[in-house]
Amino acid sequence: MAATEKKQAVYLCEGCGISDAISLDELEQAVTGEMRVPLCRRIDACCGEDGLAQIKKDIDKGEVTQAIIAACSPRVMCEEFDALGAQVIRANLREQVIWSQPAGDENTQMLATDHVRMAVAKAAKTEKPAAHGPGASSMKLLVVGGGVTGLSAAREASKTGADVVLVEKTGELGGWAGKWSKHIPYASPYRGLQENPLPDLIKEVMGDKAITVKTNTTVARTEGGPGEFAVQLQNGKGDEWDVFGAIVVATGWRPYDTAKLEPLGYGSSPHIVTDIEFEDILSAGLSKKTKKKKSLDVVAFVIPGGADRMPYSSGVSDRVAIKQALQVVEAVPGAMVYVIYEDLRAHGTAEEFYREAQEAGVVFQKGEVISISSDLTVTVRDDLLGGEVPMSGIDMVVISTGMVPNSTDIDREPSQSGADQLKDDIDPRVPITFSGKLVNGGNGAEPDKAADDDEPALPGGPILNLQYRQGPHIPILANGFADSHYICFPYETRRTGIYTCGPVRRAMTVGEARQDAQGAVLKAIQAMRAADESLAVHPRSGDLSYPKINHDICTKCRRCTVECPFGAIDEDPDGRPHINFSRCRRCGTCMGACPVRTITFDNYNPQMVADMIGAVEVPDEFAEKPRILVLACENDAYPALDMAGINRRQLSPYLRIIPVRCLGSVTMLWISTALEKGFDGVMLMGCKSGDDYQCHFIKGSGIAEERMSSVGETLKSMMLEEDRVVMEEVSIADSVRAPQVLNEFADKIGAMPPNPFKGF
Amino acid sequence: MTAPDAARKYDLGFARWVRDNVDGGDKLSMCMQCGVCSGSCPIGTQMDYGPRKLFMMIRAGMKEEVMTSNTMWSCTSCYRCVVRCPRGVPVTYILQDLAAKSVELGYANPNDNTRFSKSFWWSAKTWGRTDERLVTARYYFSFGLKEGMRRSLDNLKIAYCMIKAGRMHLGMPHKVKDKKGLQAILKKAAEIEQRESGS
Repeated sequence: MAATEKKQAVYLCEGCGISDAISLDELEQAVTGEMRVPLCRRIDACCGEDGLAQIKKDIDKGEVTQAIIAACSPRVMCEEFDALGAQVIRANLREQVIWSQPAGDENTQMLATDHVRMAVAKAAKTEKPAAHGPGASSMKLLVVGGGVTGLSAAREASKTGADVVLVEKTGELGGWAGKWSKHIPYASPYRGLQENPLPDLIKEVMGDKAITVKTNTTVARTEGGPGEFAVQLQNGKGDEWDVFGAIVVATGWRPYDTAKLEPLGYGSSPHIVTDIEFEDILSAGLSKKTKKKKSLDVVAFVIPGGADRMPYSSGVSDRVAIKQALQVVEAVPGAMVYVIYEDLRAHGTAEEFYREAQEAGVVFQKGEVISISSDLTVTVRDDLLGGEVPMSGIDMVVISTGMVPNSTDIDREPSQSGADQLKDDIDPRVPITFSGKLVNGGNGAEPDKAADDDEPALPGGPILNLQYRQGPHIPILANGFADSHYICFPYETRRTGIYTCGPVRRAMTVGEARQDAQGAVLKAIQAMRAADESLAVHPRSGDLSYPKINHDICTKCRRCTVECPFGAIDEDPDGRPHINFSRCRRCGTCMGACPVRTITFDNYNPQMVADMIGAVEVPDEFAEKPRILVLACENDAYPALDMAGINRRQLSPYLRIIPVRCLGSVTMLWISTALEKGFDGVMLMGCKSGDDYQCHFIKGSGIAEERMSSVGETLKSMMLEEDRVVMEEVSIADSVRAPQVLNEFADKIGAMPPNPFKGF
Repeated sequence: MTAPDAARKYDLGFARWVRDNVDGGDKLSMCMQCGVCSGSCPIGTQMDYGPRKLFMMIRAGMKEEVMTSNTMWSCTSCYRCVVRCPRGVPVTYILQDLAAKSVELGYANPNDNTRFSKSFWWSAKTWGRTDERLVTARYYFSFGLKEGMRRSLDNLKIAYCMIKAGRMHLGMPHKVKDKKGLQAILKKAAEIEQRESGS
């Protein structure tokens, strides 16, 4: 917002026992005295009708533009206070002061005063955010893939009123599932084989006027962002450009590589087939009268173990084996059907299906399959049987395979390295410069693609061919599956506005894929609407703030463009960062990355937090009251600490907790400010990083960890102990552990000599 | 107990034969190998293999090992396994019929289990009751006169103690009141068996 004059007021809440636990007289004195806030009111209960009316009156009179409410946690009563009209800054006196500290204590009073000081300092440096400009408003959805997932997605989107273009690479709709005769049950009571739902679904889609189906078409290029994806579609005849609001990627799967099954015995006999090949035999029909009958008297379905195949089968191929076994039993009366498994994963409703197969006479035999010989002897090892048992007399062996995600387009020129597919966000080979000098030992030349590539590249080229600075691919996590925050945001990819669903995300059955399509479509519609209103999507849904860059100060070091977890920042021809706002999720990782701190948000910026740290009163070294700064991730760590307060778990009174958007947004300035100010320790508290990350911004906590690894050296050069600055990973459920971790750290810091910078 | 021989081949035809011919064999596919039967069996420790393992072996085609095992002969028909089986597998029936089939097919002749079983059946059939002395004696002397004498003398002390404790009586064997009725029942049962196996 433009520089209107700020008029601040502090409202001290007397409710929830705050006035009993701390002296609000002293606090009021401090506010009007040292903090120099002209207006300070004490209110019975800020969130009550009278309290709200009192605050509202001040705002409406024009006396207040920033209401600093010292009451409960910023995570509660948001709607009530936001409705007041002014910018609201909260000081968390309830959860993190009176509920987690002894009442009437000197230290509690100091903590409460510091909370208000920090809020006042924050108010000075924050503005009410305004939208970055008109939003991008295409509400048309692109669905890539014409299998069961894509068809369901198109149909679901059309039901909500959206226009849809469905793109299919081959000439036919239906995909793999369309070819199969019978299906794993996808509807209640989850017993019995079900008819193929694809013919009906295809009919529905073809008859839907809101859906444009383009077969034999691929995506050649994708530019822009949510609400304004410019997509070049390519078919044999030529190219065409179209604009879409969001993209649903339902590119499905391809069969697991049979070459990997050869050591087991695949290929040694025509009667050893994969489950996918067996589908063809089933589709052709297993009539009693055909000669096939003789050859299907004893059929063994083999589900091999092995960590390599595991992620691709994921309980689906187990259910496929059950399905096919049932089909054989139904078609060939008297057939002896075995399912030989090491781990049978028939979870959820598949338990019913498994039991049905047992009742129909299918024998489930446990054992590790060692080999399958060309005369169809299956050797099984099992501890209960006491060794290896070669089982013979089998007419056909069907080996379960798996679904390898089509996260790449196998018909396209493959990428040259795994890093191109962005398994790791930060490509170590991209040279990073600082003030014109290289900082990470790069040679300044184009990155050497062949060098230090420990992750093998997946076969095939990019599906959407994104014209993003971070590369053409949708990032993958492991085994080629598209990366997503599995717990909280399963459909998200790391490319805002692009949602994956179906087996490209994980192996799944037809029923699961159809549900998945619904979920992804709803997220895509949300993203289009958010883009229209210039709002952020998940997890900061509805946030208007956006990163601003002062290009005069920018050194073109490219850290922000490299580290953005969502590929939101491109580079203009001069090498300066260009932010695509609709792709941005407002995590602030760019802000934490910027060495010259010129990336800021209206309501969140390096100077704001630095001033908050500076506002804390640090007692001198003789007071024996250490101060510890805690930068807590507001997604998980901060709520966990609030929850600790709600449960009245006591925290060390020496902690000063500041919420941050993500640990990725933490700049080293804050740590150095704290240490120079005389803080004795600093803790960064955020989400789990790594392959099983829980970071809501995917890479934020990982990036923070990497940045922290160089802090030790800095501390040494300041003649400080290295373990004064630490990072801890907690989850939102850690309301017991998080306070323990903090208190232990506080004890450790308390045992150290005070920070020598105190008092300078 | 014998471990499977990796050099041999175990024909799954056996599993099919059990399914199609053994009483309750068609329910074997319901077994989920939970082991409640083996855990419940009061004489499981005496068996070569518990019912759970025996079923696993049947499914693996281990015909010799199954048919020569003592499992089905050790079963006392207490029906605990049947009552407890969560999948409704009639364990006792399967074991009983397997014992009968093992005799039929010549796997069980003659061994400890069949000798004892025969003596037991002789007593039950003749008197309608089992008589400890007669069953034991018949069992011992089925090994021959010399062996029978040796075994009887070896167990003399036990017999003496049992008599003293009132667990074994002297005099005429106990018998059922209606011996004729018993014979009629057995005759009918044989008829039914004949009819069913004939069809």
